[in-house]
Amino acid sequence: MTTGALIFARNNEEIDYVAMARWSASNIKRHLGIPTHIVTDDAETTNTRYFSDIGNVIWHNLNRMDAYQLSPWDRTLVLDADYVVASNQLQSVLEVDQDFLAHRWAYDVTGNNNFEGLNYFGNNCMPMWWATVMMFRKSNHARLIFESMRMIKDNWTHYRNLYKNTTATYRNDHALSIALGIVNGHTLDHAGIPWKLASLTPEHKLTQTSQDCYRVNFINTENKPRWVELQQDFHAMGKQQLGEIVASNS
Amino acid sequence: MPVTAERGYLIPAIGNVYVECAQKLSDSIHKWHPNANITILTKEMLPYGDLGGYVNDWQVFAASPYRQTIKLEADMICASPIDHWWTLLEKRDVVISQGARDFYDQPAAARYYRKIFDENNLPDVYNAITYWRLSRTAKEFFNLVQSIFEQWDSYKKILKFPDELPTTDVVYAIAAVIMDPDQVTLPKGLGPTIVHMKRYINPIQTSNWTKELVWENNPFRINTVAQFGLVHYHVKEWVNE
Repeated sequence: MTTGALIFARNNEEIDYVAMARWSASNIKRHLGIPTHIVTDDAETTNTRYFSDIGNVIWHNLNRMDAYQLSPWDRTLVLDADYVVASNQLQSVLEVDQDFLAHRWAYDVTGNNNFEGLNYFGNNCMPMWWATVMMFRKSNHARLIFESMRMIKDNWTHYRNLYKNTTATYRNDHALSIALGIVNGHTLDHAGIPWKLASLTPEHKLTQTSQDCYRVNFINTENKPRWVELQQDFHAMGKQQLGEIVASNS
Repeated sequence: MPVTAERGYLIPAIGNVYVECAQKLSDSIHKWHPNANITILTKEMLPYGDLGGYVNDWQVFAASPYRQTIKLEADMICASPIDHWWTLLEKRDVVISQGARDFYDQPAAARYYRKIFDENNLPDVYNAITYWRLSRTAKEFFNLVQSIFEQWDSYKKILKFPDELPTTDVVYAIAAVIMDPDQVTLPKGLGPTIVHMKRYINPIQTSNWTKELVWENNPFRINTVAQFGLVHYHVKEWVNE
């Protein structure tokens, strides 16, 4: 069975997501021993051969729901560019006998925020599944999930109204949550990654202390300075700080 | 009432609105279990006559024509098969359901409606689903229920935040404490529970969920989420939808 990772990366004026993805691909190779394809619409980048040691670079205006079609592997890990692979913990996700897995819960590594508002969406608090890390196996089940995400994106106004989403912006997390419901018989019982998604919000200071070790300086709820050390995978919601770490590594 | 069958559902329906609700519930059970025995207990069928309001409840024991009875509150709808409950309950003499769920099938965390239970350390029982088999235990339980209803003025004095008139849930909870809750309940999370559509149990902004949320029949879904077991819709007008 072939296995690999996909990272979707689109640069904007502030963040070099492609560089972030390239750095993540090297971490993935080191910890999980699998190749990575970076999906981007950055023509300049995709025309280089810079990524040839990591995997092909595909150039197209593609979205997360195209992952199923794009992946050349039997089993694929889809990661956000700002997901930091600092351990081999996702190895177990790649070995589990499931067609599709994602995180149901995310938490703030500092403990400052309870993330209640982020683990649900819409006025009626629909449970949210995070599209930050998705593992899928080529199967009808996984294909239907991605096709449903496509349908939801194409009809976003309808779904936004149905779930009383307060923001108009389309989000992959919301589409994934709705798609899982549709594919799994409108239940909420979906197999999930059996640990919570460690997350770091932008207001905290993230620095790298060694290759797979990160330090988070933050002000706690009692207004006292504190820090935690991370030696695990995490979702760096503060892209700017992660960008600086990536730049210092290149 | 003479026993006419081993197992059956009993739906008390005192008053016209409740008769309509009970018929809807009966229909929804028959959809899943066409051969289920169901009795809608109307005012005229009460063995000791209409005593007014919740106070009639203790009469269900004498009114049931079944050796094993599951009593159901009328304003509920059956959204999935429930006959596996019999296997779960048949080893016990009395089981009152404990806890409730929201429409996402999550245990109800809100205690807004349960202050009297929490302040008095009463078990979190819901009479909406109550099982009993003909037994001394069940007889004792419903005798207690009768006694508590009839002597509410005395019980009221020993409770914190008592209701002016007794509610069946509180009366059942007091009876459970007197008999020992373990004798008349199953461990939390094990027995059947209702989906309770009251406002503060669900993430909704208004008291009428039928106007706020999208619901569908066949299968019964609320805001696209498939419902399981019994859904206590609580808004009586919905019965005609």
